[in-house]
Amino acid sequence: MLIESVLAGAVRGGTSMLYPVLGETIAERSGVINLGTEGCMLAGALAAYVVGIETGSVWLGALAGAAAGAALALVHAFMVLSRGSNQIATGLVITFLGLGTTALFGQSYVGQGVNAFAAVPVPGLSEVPFIGRVLFDHDPLTYLSLVAAVVTWFVVFRTRTGMKLRAAGERPEVLEAFGLSPVRIRYVAVVVGGSLAGLGGGQLSTAFTRNWSENMTVGRGFVAVALVIFAAWNPLKAIGGAYLFSGAIALQLELQARGSEISKYLLQAMPYVTVIVVLAVMSRRQLQRSPESLARVLG
Amino acid sequence: MRSRRTGTLAAILALGILVAACGDDDDSGATASPETSAPTDDTTAEAPAEGAAPAEGSLTIGFIYVGPKDDFGYNQAAFQGSEAVQAAFPAVTIMQAENVPETAEAEAVMQKMIDDGATLIFATSYGHLEFARNLAADNPDVVFVHQGGLEGEAKLDNLGTYFGTVYEPVYTAGIAAGAATESGTLGYVYAFPIPQTLANINAFTLGAESVNPDVEVITLATGSWCDPGLQAQAAQSLLDQGADVLTQHQDCTKTIIEATEAAGAFTVGYHADASSLAPTGWLTGSEWNWGPLYIDIVQTVIDGGFVASAFNGDYRVGLQTGDNPFVQSAFGSSVDADTVALIDAARERFVTGGSPFSGPVLAQDGSIVFAEGEQPSYEDIETMDFFVEGVIGAIG
Amino acid sequence: MSVETSVHPFDDEPIDEPVDESSQGLTTGAAGLTPGDGTSVTSLASGGAGWGHASAVLRWTFALSAAVVLYGAFLATKGADPVTALEAMWESAFGSTNNLGETLVRAAPILLASLAVVVPARAGLFNIGGEGQLLMGAIGAHGMAMALDGALPRPAALVLAGLGGAALGAAWAAIPVLLKLFTATSEAITSLLLNYIAALVLTWLVFEPWKDPASLGQAYSRELDTTTRLPVIWGERVHLGIVVALIAAVFVWLALRSTSWGFRLQVLGGNEEAARRAGFPVARLTIGAMLVGGALAGLGGFVELAGVEGRLRPEILGGYGYVAFLGSWLARHDPLKAVVASVMLGAIVVGGFGLKIATGLSGGAVDVLMALVLLAILGFAQPRGAR
Repeated sequence: MLIESVLAGAVRGGTSMLYPVLGETIAERSGVINLGTEGCMLAGALAAYVVGIETGSVWLGALAGAAAGAALALVHAFMVLSRGSNQIATGLVITFLGLGTTALFGQSYVGQGVNAFAAVPVPGLSEVPFIGRVLFDHDPLTYLSLVAAVVTWFVVFRTRTGMKLRAAGERPEVLEAFGLSPVRIRYVAVVVGGSLAGLGGGQLSTAFTRNWSENMTVGRGFVAVALVIFAAWNPLKAIGGAYLFSGAIALQLELQARGSEISKYLLQAMPYVTVIVVLAVMSRRQLQRSPESLARVLG
Repeated sequence: MRSRRTGTLAAILALGILVAACGDDDDSGATASPETSAPTDDTTAEAPAEGAAPAEGSLTIGFIYVGPKDDFGYNQAAFQGSEAVQAAFPAVTIMQAENVPETAEAEAVMQKMIDDGATLIFATSYGHLEFARNLAADNPDVVFVHQGGLEGEAKLDNLGTYFGTVYEPVYTAGIAAGAATESGTLGYVYAFPIPQTLANINAFTLGAESVNPDVEVITLATGSWCDPGLQAQAAQSLLDQGADVLTQHQDCTKTIIEATEAAGAFTVGYHADASSLAPTGWLTGSEWNWGPLYIDIVQTVIDGGFVASAFNGDYRVGLQTGDNPFVQSAFGSSVDADTVALIDAARERFVTGGSPFSGPVLAQDGSIVFAEGEQPSYEDIETMDFFVEGVIGAIG
Repeated sequence: MSVETSVHPFDDEPIDEPVDESSQGLTTGAAGLTPGDGTSVTSLASGGAGWGHASAVLRWTFALSAAVVLYGAFLATKGADPVTALEAMWESAFGSTNNLGETLVRAAPILLASLAVVVPARAGLFNIGGEGQLLMGAIGAHGMAMALDGALPRPAALVLAGLGGAALGAAWAAIPVLLKLFTATSEAITSLLLNYIAALVLTWLVFEPWKDPASLGQAYSRELDTTTRLPVIWGERVHLGIVVALIAAVFVWLALRSTSWGFRLQVLGGNEEAARRAGFPVARLTIGAMLVGGALAGLGGFVELAGVEGRLRPEILGGYGYVAFLGSWLARHDPLKAVVASVMLGAIVVGGFGLKIATGLSGGAVDVLMALVLLAILGFAQPRGAR
C-alpha cells in the first residue's frame, strides 16, 4: 500500500519533471547546459494557464506553454551560441528573467479557475491492481510524457537527426567536415529542450496542480538539470530520474501522513538529499557517458 | 580605508547616474511624483502630535503583505481590507507593498513608507511584528498596527496588534467535517507549526470530535505557504490514507480544493469562499472580512484616539466581543439541518463566553492541557505549542 | 609565463581572440562551461584598470542604458509609467542618506557572497551555493554568539562570531567540492541543491532547538546580545559589516593578484593539466578555493545577522546568494569590480521597495531588471571571449 501510493505519487508528481529532464537531455546532448530550465518551466506554467483560461482549450494551453518555454530558451541559445556568454551564468539569468516576468504577468491570474486536464483512466488497464493505479490513471500529458521519452530516445539514438545532435555535443569538427553547422543544431536542441520544459511547466499548472502562483516551480527546473546526469543523458533513464525526485516527495508525505516520528524537516529535506546522494554514487560512472563538451562542467 | 570608501561611493554614484541617464533627469526633487521623499525631519514636523487628529486628507496609510496581494488567500484578504478603507475614506492616500519578507527588509520597506509620508502602517503578516516594533520605537508619531501578533510586555503607545478569533469558525467547520466524514479520517495540510496554525488544527479537531468522538485528523506540513506541487502531492497522500474531508492552512488554496473535489471528497475552505471550485464537495469554510475592522482602526487614528483605544494593545475580536473578521463561509448542499443546528449551538456558546478550547482539552499524548472548566486566554491560545488528542503528526 | 596565452583545454584557439561565427560553434560548448575562461586572464592582465578604458565604459554605458530602456518598456506593458517607476527606484536606492545607507546595507552580504563565487571561479569552479553558505554563515555566527553568551568583550566576541560564520560557511562549501573530487559530481549542481537543504536546516533550527522561548509563538531564535552586534557606523543603519565586506574584497584582490596561491589558482582555472604538470597540489587548491569561497559567504551571513537581523529567522537572506552569483559575473570575477556590482545589485533590491510602493507591481519586477542588466553585460558589454 505504501509502495503503491509512493509509486503512484511519483508518476503523478514526476510528469512535470520528466518533460524538462527530456528537454535538458536533448540540449545537453548537443553540448549546451541550460540552468534556465527553471525559468522555462515557469514561463510554460503561466502561458499554459493563461491560454487555457482565455481560449478554454487545455491543449492550446499546453501548446502555448511549450512555445513560451521555447521562447525563453531561444534567449539562452542566442546569448550562449551567438554572443558567447557563459552557459551556467546565462542559465541562471534566464531563470531570473522567467521568474520576474511570470510574477508580473501572472499577477491577475492567481486563483482563477482553469479548464484543467482531467485524469483519463485507461479502460481495463486502470482496473489492474497496483499497476493500474500507478500507471494508468493519469492525465493525458502524463501518458504523452512517456511517449515523448520513448520518441526522444529513438530520435537521439536511432536516427540521423540524433546522430547529428550527438555529434554536435561530441565531435562538432566532424559535422563541420560534412558541411553542417553545429551552432544551428545546438540552437534547435536548446529551443526544443526549452519547449519541453515549458510543456512540463504547463503540466504542472494545468494538470497536476490546476493553479498558478508566483515561483510555483520552486526549484524543480534546477532539479531536472541534476537529474539529467542521473539519467546519463538517456531519455529512457530520464523517466526513472524524474520519478526519483517526485517519489522521494511522495514518500516523505506518506511517512508524515502515517504519523512517522521522523522530524518533518528531515523528511522535507529528503528529496534533495536523495538526489545529491544518488548523483554522488553514480556520477563517476555516468560521467563517461556525458557529451564531451559538457565534460568539464560536470567533472 | 576612508579614501577607498569615498572612491567606492563615487563609483556608485557614477554608475547610478549612468543608469538614470536614460530618459529622465535625476532631479527627482523637482518632479511631482508622490514617491518623492521628504527628509525625515520634515515628516516628523508635519506628523500629528501624539493624540492630535490628522485631517482625513493628510493621512497616508501603508500596507505591507508577505505574499502577492492577489494570492486568493491571506494576502488578498488583507488587500481587500485596504480597498475597503480606500472606499470609506476616499481622501486618504494608501501605499501598498507586496512580497515583503519577514526579515529586516520589512523594516526597510516600512521605513520607506514613513519617509514617503505614511503615518499609519498595517503590517499584515505574523513575522512582521518585530520590525514594526523597532520602527514604532524610533517613530513615535507613526501608528503601527500588526495583524495577528502579540505585543507582549514592552507596550508602546503607537503600536497595537489586532486579530480575530480565527479558530472559532474553524471549530464550527470542524463540526461540519466531523458530521460529513464516513471514514472518520480528516486531512489537514499546513505550512509551519506556528501557534495560529496549531490553534486552527486543534479547533478543527475538537469541533469534529464534538460530533464524532473517534475522528482522527492527519496533518501534513509542506514547509511552504504556497507550493502547489507539494500541495497536490500532499492532498493525494491524505486521500490515500482514507481522509474524506480535507482542509488546509495555506496561502494559496486552489490546488488542494480541486484535488479533493476531483477525488470526490469533502472540502473545508480557508481564507476565501471557494465553493465554486468544489460544487459537490464543499462543506463550509472560514473567510476573512477585514474591511470593517480596518475602517474602525483608521477612523480611530483619524479621530486622534488611538492611544486611548483598545487598538493600542492586543486587540482581539471574536464572537463574544463583536464581529469576528473571520467568518463562516456559506454551507454546501451536503450539510444537513441537524449539523447546522449543532454549529449554531456551538456559535451561541462562543457568543456567551465559551471557547473552542474550554476545558477539558487533552494533548496528543493524553495529558491535560486545559482542565475541566478552564477558560484559556487569548494569549494561551495564540502561543499554543501542542496538538490535541486525535491529531496525527508531530510538531517537530 | 604561459598564463597570458593559456588555452582552454577544449578550445581550438586562444580565448581572447575574436571568434568568427562559423567556427565558434566548435568551441562554445566547452568555452562556455568554465567560469575562469578568459575572464581571469583578461582581468588579471588589466588589473583594476579596465574601468578606465574608454571603449569599455562606452560598451557598459550602452548595454546598461539598453537594459534600462527595455525594462522601462517592460514596465509600461504592465501599465506603469516607466519614468515614474524608474524615478521611484532611483529615489528609493539613492534619494537620501538613509536610502543610500540601505543600499549599502543590502550590498554587504551580496558582495561577500559574490566574492564566494569569484575565488572558486578562478580555480575553474562554479559555486552556486552562495545562498546556502550565507545561511550556514548566519547559523554558525549565531551558534557562536549563543555559546559565548556575552562572556567576552565586543571586539573578541565579534571576531569569534565572524569566525563561526566563516567556518560553517566553509564547511557547507566543502560538501560540493569534496563530492566533486571523490565522486566527480558537478559542484555547480550539488552546491545549488544544497541551498534548499540549508534553508530547511535553518527552518528546523528556528522552529525547534533554537527557537526563542520568549517569542510568543514567533519562529525566530534568541536575539544576539550587544557584544555580538556590529556597530552602526553611518546614519541609521549602515553597520561595520560594510567595511568588513570591503576589506574582504581588497584582501581577495590582493591574494588573487599578488600571492603564489592566487597565481596557482589562476593556472589551475586556466588549464588543470598545466597545473598538474607544474606540480601544483591540484586537489588541495581546488578544495581551498571552494572553502575560501564558503568562508566568505559565511562571513556574509554573519554580517547580515550581526549587522541587521539580530536573530535567525526562516526567510533571512532569501535569494541573496543567487543575486550575488550574478554579481560575480557582472564583475567578471574581479573582486574590486564586485564591489561596484554588489552596490548596483543592492540598489536594484532597494529600488524595488520604492518600485513596489509607487506602482503596486509585483516584487518580481526587480528580477526582470537584474536579468536584463546581466543579459546586456554578459552578452554585449564585454569583449568577446571574456563573457
